[in-house]
Amino acid sequence: MTATGTTVYVAGIGCVGGFGAGIDAFRAALKQGCCSPTPLLQQHPDGQPFVPAYLAQTDKLSDFVPKRALRRLDHYARLALLGGYLALADAGLSAQDCEDLGVIIASGYGATGTTFGFLDSILNDGDSCASPTSFSTSVHNVAAAYLSMQMQALGPNLTVSCFEQSMTAALHNALCWLQSGRVRRVLVGGVDEHNPVVNYCYGRFFGTQTAAVLSPFSEQHSALPGEGAAFLLLTTERPGLSPVRLTDVASGSGVPTMAAPTDVVLAGADGHGATAPFYRRLSGETPALRSCTPCYGSLPTGQAFDLAAATLMLRDRCCYGLCAAPQTNEAGSCPAPQRISVVKYSGDGSYGHVRLQLEEGSRHA
Amino acid sequence: MTIKEKLKQILVEDLNLEDITPEEINDEDPLFGEGLGLDSLDAVELVVLVQKHFGVEIKDMEQGRPALQSVNTLAAFIEQNQA
Repeated sequence: MTATGTTVYVAGIGCVGGFGAGIDAFRAALKQGCCSPTPLLQQHPDGQPFVPAYLAQTDKLSDFVPKRALRRLDHYARLALLGGYLALADAGLSAQDCEDLGVIIASGYGATGTTFGFLDSILNDGDSCASPTSFSTSVHNVAAAYLSMQMQALGPNLTVSCFEQSMTAALHNALCWLQSGRVRRVLVGGVDEHNPVVNYCYGRFFGTQTAAVLSPFSEQHSALPGEGAAFLLLTTERPGLSPVRLTDVASGSGVPTMAAPTDVVLAGADGHGATAPFYRRLSGETPALRSCTPCYGSLPTGQAFDLAAATLMLRDRCCYGLCAAPQTNEAGSCPAPQRISVVKYSGDGSYGHVRLQLEEGSRHA
Repeated sequence: MTIKEKLKQILVEDLNLEDITPEEINDEDPLFGEGLGLDSLDAVELVVLVQKHFGVEIKDMEQGRPALQSVNTLAAFIEQNQA
Protein backbone atom coordinates (compact mmCIF):
# COMPACT_ATOMS: atom_id res chain seq x y z
CA MET A 1 0.00 0.00 0.00
CA THR A 2 1.10 3.52 -0.74
CA ALA A 3 -0.37 5.56 2.09
CA THR A 4 0.13 9.18 1.25
CA GLY A 5 2.52 10.67 3.81
CA THR A 6 2.37 13.95 1.95
CA THR A 7 -1.16 15.25 1.56
CA VAL A 8 -2.19 14.89 -2.08
CA TYR A 9 -5.29 16.50 -3.53
CA VAL A 10 -7.30 15.96 -6.69
CA ALA A 11 -7.30 19.51 -8.02
CA GLY A 12 -9.00 18.75 -11.33
CA ILE A 13 -10.68 16.02 -13.33
CA GLY A 14 -11.18 15.73 -17.07
CA CYS A 15 -12.89 13.01 -18.99
CA VAL A 16 -14.14 12.11 -22.45
CA GLY A 17 -16.04 8.97 -23.34
CA GLY A 18 -19.25 7.58 -24.79
CA PHE A 19 -21.15 10.01 -22.56
CA GLY A 20 -19.53 13.07 -24.20
CA ALA A 21 -16.70 15.35 -23.16
CA GLY A 22 -16.27 17.17 -19.86
CA ILE A 23 -17.57 17.01 -16.33
CA ASP A 24 -21.12 18.17 -17.12
CA ALA A 25 -21.62 15.42 -19.70
CA PHE A 26 -20.16 12.81 -17.32
CA ARG A 27 -22.29 14.01 -14.40
CA ALA A 28 -25.43 13.82 -16.57
CA ALA A 29 -24.63 10.20 -17.48
CA LEU A 30 -23.85 9.36 -13.84
CA LYS A 31 -27.18 10.79 -12.69
CA GLN A 32 -28.95 8.71 -15.30
CA GLY A 33 -26.94 5.64 -14.30
CA CYS A 34 -26.02 4.74 -17.87
CA CYS A 35 -25.62 5.95 -21.42
CA SER A 36 -26.28 4.20 -24.71
CA PRO A 37 -23.56 2.43 -26.68
CA THR A 38 -23.26 3.31 -30.36
CA PRO A 39 -24.37 0.52 -32.71
CA LEU A 40 -21.75 -0.07 -35.40
CA LEU A 41 -23.36 -1.27 -38.59
CA GLN A 42 -20.37 -1.68 -40.87
CA GLN A 43 -18.38 -4.88 -41.14
CA HIS A 44 -14.77 -5.35 -40.10
CA PRO A 45 -12.60 -6.03 -43.18
CA ASP A 46 -12.43 -9.70 -42.16
CA GLY A 47 -16.24 -9.91 -42.36
CA GLN A 48 -16.78 -9.83 -38.61
CA PRO A 49 -19.46 -7.36 -37.48
CA PHE A 50 -18.55 -4.51 -35.16
CA VAL A 51 -20.04 -4.86 -31.71
CA PRO A 52 -21.87 -1.90 -30.12
CA ALA A 53 -19.45 0.27 -28.17
CA TYR A 54 -19.32 3.41 -26.06
CA LEU A 55 -17.42 5.59 -28.52
CA ALA A 56 -15.90 8.98 -27.80
CA GLN A 57 -15.65 12.10 -29.97
CA THR A 58 -12.72 14.50 -29.70
CA ASP A 59 -14.10 17.51 -31.63
CA LYS A 60 -13.81 19.63 -28.50
CA LEU A 61 -10.03 19.34 -28.65
CA SER A 62 -9.92 22.21 -31.16
CA ASP A 63 -10.99 24.47 -28.25
CA PHE A 64 -7.54 23.88 -26.76
CA VAL A 65 -5.16 23.11 -29.65
CA PRO A 66 -5.06 24.50 -33.22
CA LYS A 67 -6.23 21.95 -35.78
CA ARG A 68 -2.91 22.07 -37.63
CA ALA A 69 -1.09 20.96 -34.48
CA LEU A 70 -3.38 17.93 -34.21
CA ARG A 71 -2.94 16.56 -37.70
CA ARG A 72 -0.40 13.86 -36.83
CA LEU A 73 -2.28 12.67 -33.77
CA ASP A 74 -4.31 9.49 -33.94
CA HIS A 75 -7.56 8.95 -32.05
CA TYR A 76 -5.78 7.48 -29.04
CA ALA A 77 -3.50 10.50 -28.61
CA ARG A 78 -6.42 12.90 -29.20
CA LEU A 79 -8.40 11.22 -26.42
CA ALA A 80 -5.42 11.67 -24.10
CA LEU A 81 -4.90 15.29 -25.05
CA LEU A 82 -8.56 16.21 -24.59
CA GLY A 83 -8.82 14.43 -21.22
CA GLY A 84 -5.65 16.15 -20.03
CA TYR A 85 -6.71 19.63 -21.13
CA LEU A 86 -10.14 19.20 -19.53
CA ALA A 87 -8.50 18.26 -16.21
CA LEU A 88 -6.27 21.33 -16.39
CA ALA A 89 -9.26 23.53 -17.14
CA ASP A 90 -11.21 22.02 -14.24
CA ALA A 91 -8.31 22.94 -11.93
CA GLY A 92 -8.34 26.49 -13.28
CA LEU A 93 -4.94 26.05 -14.94
CA SER A 94 -3.78 26.57 -18.50
CA ALA A 95 -0.83 25.27 -20.50
CA GLN A 96 1.17 28.24 -19.17
CA ASP A 97 1.07 26.77 -15.65
CA CYS A 98 2.62 23.43 -16.56
CA GLU A 99 6.37 23.91 -16.25
CA ASP A 100 6.49 21.88 -13.04
CA LEU A 101 4.08 19.18 -14.21
CA GLY A 102 4.68 15.44 -14.46
CA VAL A 103 2.58 13.39 -16.87
CA ILE A 104 1.61 9.73 -16.53
CA ILE A 105 -0.69 7.85 -18.85
CA ALA A 106 -2.12 4.48 -17.93
CA SER A 107 -3.30 2.33 -20.81
CA GLY A 108 -4.29 -1.28 -21.17
CA TYR A 109 -4.35 -1.34 -24.97
CA GLY A 110 -2.01 1.54 -25.90
CA ALA A 111 -1.99 2.75 -29.50
CA THR A 112 -2.99 -0.65 -30.89
CA GLY A 113 -5.09 0.80 -33.73
CA THR A 114 -2.15 2.75 -35.16
CA THR A 115 0.38 0.02 -34.37
CA PHE A 116 -1.58 -2.67 -36.19
CA GLY A 117 -2.41 -0.26 -39.04
CA PHE A 118 1.31 0.44 -39.45
CA LEU A 119 2.16 -3.28 -39.48
CA ASP A 120 -0.67 -3.95 -41.97
CA SER A 121 0.73 -1.24 -44.27
CA ILE A 122 4.12 -3.01 -44.30
CA LEU A 123 2.43 -6.30 -45.17
CA ASN A 124 0.28 -4.68 -47.88
CA ASP A 125 2.69 -2.20 -49.51
CA GLY A 126 6.16 -3.26 -48.39
CA ASP A 127 8.47 -1.66 -45.85
CA SER A 128 9.63 1.08 -48.24
CA CYS A 129 6.07 2.46 -48.24
CA ALA A 130 5.61 2.36 -44.46
CA SER A 131 4.43 5.75 -43.19
CA PRO A 132 7.00 7.50 -40.97
CA THR A 133 4.16 9.41 -39.29
CA SER A 134 2.32 6.17 -38.48
CA PHE A 135 5.53 4.76 -37.07
CA SER A 136 6.10 7.76 -34.84
CA THR A 137 2.52 7.60 -33.51
CA SER A 138 2.57 3.84 -32.95
CA VAL A 139 5.20 3.96 -30.21
CA HIS A 140 3.94 3.34 -26.72
CA ASN A 141 4.63 6.70 -25.09
CA VAL A 142 3.29 8.86 -27.91
CA ALA A 143 0.18 10.17 -26.13
CA ALA A 144 2.04 11.14 -22.96
CA ALA A 145 4.78 12.76 -25.04
CA TYR A 146 2.27 14.85 -27.01
CA LEU A 147 0.63 15.92 -23.76
CA SER A 148 3.92 17.13 -22.31
CA MET A 149 4.93 18.86 -25.55
CA GLN A 150 1.62 20.65 -26.03
CA MET A 151 1.50 21.74 -22.38
CA GLN A 152 5.21 22.64 -22.27
CA ALA A 153 5.45 20.36 -19.24
CA LEU A 154 9.08 19.88 -18.22
CA GLY A 155 8.48 17.28 -15.49
CA PRO A 156 8.95 13.51 -15.88
CA ASN A 157 6.83 11.66 -18.41
CA LEU A 158 5.71 8.05 -18.27
CA THR A 159 3.31 5.54 -19.79
CA VAL A 160 2.27 2.58 -17.65
CA SER A 161 0.59 -0.56 -18.90
CA CYS A 162 -0.56 -3.26 -16.48
CA PHE A 163 -3.90 -3.94 -18.20
CA GLU A 164 -6.68 -3.53 -15.59
CA GLN A 165 -4.16 -2.45 -12.94
CA SER A 166 -2.63 0.27 -15.11
CA MET A 167 -4.32 3.18 -13.32
CA THR A 168 -3.38 1.95 -9.86
CA ALA A 169 0.22 1.48 -11.01
CA ALA A 170 0.22 4.98 -12.49
CA LEU A 171 -1.03 6.42 -9.19
CA HIS A 172 1.74 4.61 -7.25
CA ASN A 173 4.23 6.41 -9.52
CA ALA A 174 2.47 9.75 -9.27
CA LEU A 175 2.53 9.63 -5.47
CA CYS A 176 6.24 8.81 -5.50
CA TRP A 177 6.95 11.89 -7.61
CA LEU A 178 4.83 14.14 -5.39
CA GLN A 179 6.11 12.75 -2.09
CA SER A 180 9.74 13.00 -3.16
CA GLY A 181 9.16 16.62 -4.23
CA ARG A 182 10.18 15.89 -7.80
CA VAL A 183 7.19 17.88 -9.10
CA ARG A 184 4.37 19.91 -7.56
CA ARG A 185 1.68 18.55 -9.86
CA VAL A 186 1.07 15.34 -11.77
CA LEU A 187 -1.44 14.88 -14.56
CA VAL A 188 -2.33 11.20 -14.41
CA GLY A 189 -4.98 9.54 -16.51
CA GLY A 190 -6.27 6.36 -18.07
CA VAL A 191 -6.64 6.22 -21.85
CA ASP A 192 -7.92 3.38 -24.03
CA GLU A 193 -9.42 3.39 -27.50
CA HIS A 194 -11.83 1.03 -29.22
CA ASN A 195 -10.52 0.00 -32.62
CA PRO A 196 -10.74 -2.91 -35.09
CA VAL A 197 -8.14 -4.87 -33.11
CA VAL A 198 -10.14 -4.65 -29.89
CA ASN A 199 -13.34 -5.35 -31.82
CA TYR A 200 -11.75 -8.49 -33.28
CA CYS A 201 -10.70 -9.63 -29.80
CA TYR A 202 -14.23 -9.14 -28.47
CA GLY A 203 -15.64 -11.25 -31.30
CA ARG A 204 -12.95 -13.89 -30.87
CA PHE A 205 -13.20 -14.18 -27.09
CA PHE A 206 -16.85 -13.47 -26.40
CA GLY A 207 -18.69 -14.16 -29.68
CA THR A 208 -20.67 -11.66 -31.69
CA GLN A 209 -23.82 -11.93 -29.57
CA THR A 210 -23.75 -8.88 -27.31
CA ALA A 211 -25.83 -7.83 -24.33
CA ALA A 212 -28.31 -4.98 -24.83
CA VAL A 213 -27.04 -3.21 -21.72
CA LEU A 214 -24.00 -3.49 -19.51
CA SER A 215 -25.13 -4.99 -16.19
CA PRO A 216 -22.27 -4.59 -13.72
CA PHE A 217 -23.51 -6.97 -11.03
CA SER A 218 -25.08 -9.62 -13.26
CA GLU A 219 -23.67 -13.13 -13.30
CA GLN A 220 -24.03 -13.16 -17.10
CA HIS A 221 -21.31 -11.76 -19.34
CA SER A 222 -22.56 -8.32 -20.43
CA ALA A 223 -19.38 -6.38 -21.20
CA LEU A 224 -19.75 -3.74 -23.92
CA PRO A 225 -16.49 -2.12 -25.00
CA GLY A 226 -15.87 1.51 -24.17
CA GLU A 227 -13.19 4.04 -24.98
CA GLY A 228 -12.05 7.38 -23.71
CA ALA A 229 -9.77 9.17 -21.31
CA ALA A 230 -10.15 10.19 -17.69
CA PHE A 231 -7.53 12.34 -15.97
CA LEU A 232 -6.83 13.55 -12.45
CA LEU A 233 -4.65 16.55 -11.76
CA LEU A 234 -2.89 15.68 -8.50
CA THR A 235 -1.17 18.31 -6.44
CA THR A 236 0.24 18.89 -2.97
CA GLU A 237 -1.39 22.33 -2.87
CA ARG A 238 -4.81 22.47 -1.21
CA PRO A 239 -7.62 23.51 -3.58
CA GLY A 240 -9.98 26.18 -2.24
CA LEU A 241 -13.37 24.53 -2.56
CA SER A 242 -14.35 20.92 -1.82
CA PRO A 243 -10.80 19.61 -1.50
CA VAL A 244 -10.73 15.91 -2.31
CA ARG A 245 -7.73 14.03 -0.92
CA LEU A 246 -6.15 10.93 -2.37
CA THR A 247 -5.50 9.04 0.87
CA ASP A 248 -4.55 5.48 -0.14
CA VAL A 249 -3.38 3.52 -3.14
CA ALA A 250 -3.04 -0.24 -2.70
CA SER A 251 -2.49 -3.33 -4.81
CA GLY A 252 -3.12 -6.91 -3.74
CA SER A 253 -5.30 -9.94 -4.28
CA GLY A 254 -8.51 -11.19 -2.67
CA VAL A 255 -10.72 -8.72 -0.83
CA PRO A 256 -9.08 -5.32 -0.19
CA THR A 257 -8.55 -4.38 3.42
CA MET A 258 -10.54 -1.24 4.03
CA ALA A 259 -8.16 0.09 6.70
CA ALA A 260 -10.24 3.21 7.32
CA PRO A 261 -14.03 3.52 7.13
CA THR A 262 -15.42 3.90 3.65
CA ASP A 263 -18.92 5.16 2.86
CA VAL A 264 -19.12 3.84 -0.69
CA VAL A 265 -17.14 1.30 -2.67
CA LEU A 266 -17.13 2.05 -6.38
CA ALA A 267 -16.57 -1.23 -8.22
CA GLY A 268 -15.06 -1.47 -11.67
CA ALA A 269 -17.46 -4.32 -12.43
CA ASP A 270 -17.76 -4.00 -16.20
CA GLY A 271 -19.70 -7.12 -17.16
CA HIS A 272 -16.73 -9.42 -17.71
CA GLY A 273 -17.37 -12.96 -16.53
CA ALA A 274 -13.75 -13.44 -15.43
CA THR A 275 -13.90 -10.70 -12.81
CA ALA A 276 -17.58 -11.01 -11.81
CA PRO A 277 -16.92 -13.53 -8.97
CA PHE A 278 -14.48 -11.13 -7.29
CA TYR A 279 -16.97 -8.27 -7.33
CA ARG A 280 -19.67 -10.60 -5.99
CA ARG A 281 -17.37 -11.44 -3.06
CA LEU A 282 -16.86 -7.72 -2.52
CA SER A 283 -20.62 -7.28 -2.54
CA GLY A 284 -20.92 -9.64 0.43
CA GLU A 285 -18.35 -7.61 2.38
CA THR A 286 -19.51 -4.14 1.42
CA PRO A 287 -23.15 -3.08 1.59
CA ALA A 288 -22.64 0.27 -0.14
CA LEU A 289 -21.25 -1.18 -3.37
CA ARG A 290 -21.94 0.82 -6.52
CA SER A 291 -20.77 0.88 -10.12
CA CYS A 292 -20.63 3.51 -12.84
CA THR A 293 -19.47 1.23 -15.66
CA PRO A 294 -22.75 1.52 -17.67
CA CYS A 295 -21.82 5.18 -18.17
CA TYR A 296 -18.51 4.52 -19.94
CA GLY A 297 -18.33 0.84 -20.90
CA SER A 298 -15.71 -1.82 -20.45
CA LEU A 299 -12.07 -0.84 -20.88
CA PRO A 300 -8.88 -1.76 -19.00
CA THR A 301 -8.45 1.73 -17.55
CA GLY A 302 -12.07 2.06 -16.42
CA GLN A 303 -10.75 2.72 -12.92
CA ALA A 304 -9.72 6.20 -14.09
CA PHE A 305 -13.38 6.97 -14.86
CA ASP A 306 -14.41 5.61 -11.45
CA LEU A 307 -11.90 7.94 -9.80
CA ALA A 308 -13.33 10.88 -11.74
CA ALA A 309 -16.84 9.76 -10.73
CA ALA A 310 -15.79 9.40 -7.08
CA THR A 311 -14.32 12.91 -7.11
CA LEU A 312 -17.59 14.26 -8.50
CA MET A 313 -19.62 12.35 -5.91
CA LEU A 314 -17.52 13.84 -3.10
CA ARG A 315 -17.67 17.34 -4.57
CA ASP A 316 -21.43 17.12 -5.21
CA ARG A 317 -22.15 15.41 -1.85
CA CYS A 318 -24.27 12.71 -3.43
CA CYS A 319 -24.07 9.17 -4.79
CA TYR A 320 -24.09 8.34 -8.47
CA GLY A 321 -24.09 5.07 -10.37
CA LEU A 322 -25.93 1.82 -9.85
CA CYS A 323 -26.04 0.16 -6.45
CA ALA A 324 -25.43 -3.59 -6.17
CA ALA A 325 -28.59 -3.83 -4.05
CA PRO A 326 -31.47 -2.76 -6.39
CA GLN A 327 -33.76 -1.62 -3.56
CA THR A 328 -31.26 1.11 -2.62
CA ASN A 329 -31.11 2.73 -6.06
CA GLU A 330 -33.88 5.20 -5.28
CA ALA A 331 -32.91 8.86 -5.09
CA GLY A 332 -31.87 9.91 -1.61
CA SER A 333 -31.19 6.36 -0.43
CA CYS A 334 -27.45 6.99 -0.21
CA PRO A 335 -26.21 9.59 2.30
CA ALA A 336 -23.63 12.13 1.18
CA PRO A 337 -20.31 10.25 1.09
CA GLN A 338 -17.15 11.52 2.77
CA ARG A 339 -14.87 8.62 1.76
CA ILE A 340 -15.05 6.51 -1.37
CA SER A 341 -13.00 3.45 -2.26
CA VAL A 342 -12.48 2.61 -5.92
CA VAL A 343 -11.68 -1.04 -6.63
CA LYS A 344 -10.67 -2.61 -9.94
CA TYR A 345 -10.11 -6.36 -10.32
CA SER A 346 -8.09 -8.28 -12.90
CA GLY A 347 -9.11 -11.71 -14.12
CA ASP A 348 -6.55 -13.38 -11.82
CA GLY A 349 -8.10 -11.82 -8.71
CA SER A 350 -5.51 -9.09 -8.20
CA TYR A 351 -6.95 -5.69 -7.40
CA GLY A 352 -6.12 -2.02 -7.34
CA HIS A 353 -7.73 -0.11 -4.48
CA VAL A 354 -7.72 3.69 -4.31
CA ARG A 355 -9.42 5.76 -1.65
CA LEU A 356 -10.53 9.38 -1.93
CA GLN A 357 -11.76 11.53 0.93
CA LEU A 358 -13.50 14.87 1.14
CA GLU A 359 -11.54 17.02 3.57
CA GLU A 360 -13.58 17.70 6.69
CA GLY A 361 -15.00 21.16 7.17
CA SER A 362 -14.70 21.97 3.47
CA ARG A 363 -17.16 24.29 1.79
CA HIS A 364 -19.46 23.17 -1.00
CA ALA A 365 -18.26 24.17 -4.50
CA MET B 1 -8.26 12.49 -62.09
CA THR B 2 -5.07 14.30 -63.16
CA ILE B 3 -1.75 13.88 -61.35
CA LYS B 4 -2.11 17.36 -59.87
CA GLU B 5 -5.62 16.68 -58.60
CA LYS B 6 -4.47 13.38 -57.12
CA LEU B 7 -1.50 15.09 -55.45
CA LYS B 8 -3.73 17.73 -53.87
CA GLN B 9 -6.05 15.03 -52.57
CA ILE B 10 -3.08 13.15 -51.09
CA LEU B 11 -1.75 16.31 -49.46
CA VAL B 12 -5.05 17.02 -47.73
CA GLU B 13 -6.12 13.47 -46.85
CA ASP B 14 -2.86 11.68 -46.12
CA LEU B 15 -1.15 14.61 -44.41
CA ASN B 16 -4.41 15.42 -42.58
CA LEU B 17 -4.53 19.10 -43.55
CA GLU B 18 -7.95 19.59 -41.95
CA ASP B 19 -7.94 23.37 -42.45
CA ILE B 20 -7.73 23.36 -46.27
CA THR B 21 -9.45 21.61 -49.19
CA PRO B 22 -7.74 20.23 -52.33
CA GLU B 23 -9.46 22.91 -54.42
CA GLU B 24 -7.88 25.65 -52.30
CA ILE B 25 -4.32 24.53 -53.12
CA ASN B 26 -2.78 26.47 -56.01
CA ASP B 27 -0.42 24.66 -58.36
CA GLU B 28 2.37 27.17 -57.64
CA ASP B 29 1.95 27.35 -53.82
CA PRO B 30 5.21 26.46 -52.03
CA LEU B 31 4.68 23.19 -50.16
CA PHE B 32 6.95 24.17 -47.26
CA GLY B 33 7.32 27.27 -45.12
CA GLU B 34 5.08 30.19 -46.09
CA GLY B 35 2.92 28.16 -48.50
CA LEU B 36 1.16 25.06 -47.22
CA GLY B 37 3.32 25.08 -44.11
CA LEU B 38 4.60 21.52 -44.41
CA ASP B 39 7.73 20.49 -42.48
CA SER B 40 10.58 18.01 -42.75
CA LEU B 41 8.54 15.05 -41.46
CA ASP B 42 5.95 15.83 -44.15
CA ALA B 43 8.74 15.74 -46.75
CA VAL B 44 9.64 12.19 -45.70
CA GLU B 45 5.96 11.24 -45.71
CA LEU B 46 5.51 12.74 -49.19
CA VAL B 47 8.42 10.70 -50.57
CA VAL B 48 6.68 7.53 -49.29
CA LEU B 49 3.26 8.64 -50.59
CA VAL B 50 4.61 9.39 -54.09
CA GLN B 51 6.15 5.92 -54.25
CA LYS B 52 2.97 4.30 -52.92
CA HIS B 53 0.47 6.10 -55.17
CA PHE B 54 2.50 6.69 -58.35
CA GLY B 55 5.24 4.05 -58.17
CA VAL B 56 7.87 6.78 -58.49
CA GLU B 57 10.88 6.81 -56.18
CA ILE B 58 12.53 10.05 -55.03
CA LYS B 59 15.97 8.66 -54.36
CA ASP B 60 17.86 11.47 -52.65
CA MET B 61 17.95 15.15 -51.71
CA GLU B 62 19.32 16.07 -55.13
CA GLN B 63 16.11 14.80 -56.71
CA GLY B 64 13.83 15.68 -53.84
CA ARG B 65 14.70 19.34 -53.32
CA PRO B 66 13.60 20.60 -56.76
CA ALA B 67 10.70 18.12 -57.01
CA LEU B 68 9.14 19.06 -53.68
CA GLN B 69 8.78 22.79 -54.34
CA SER B 70 5.11 22.86 -55.40
CA VAL B 71 2.32 20.73 -56.85
CA ASN B 72 3.52 21.77 -60.30
CA THR B 73 7.13 20.63 -59.77
CA LEU B 74 6.12 17.40 -58.09
CA ALA B 75 3.62 16.54 -60.84
CA ALA B 76 6.29 17.21 -63.46
CA PHE B 77 8.76 14.96 -61.64
CA ILE B 78 6.19 12.16 -61.46
CA GLU B 79 5.35 12.49 -65.16
CA GLN B 80 9.03 12.34 -66.12
CA ASN B 81 9.76 9.29 -64.02
CA GLN B 82 6.65 7.16 -64.39
CA ALA B 83 7.36 3.97 -66.30
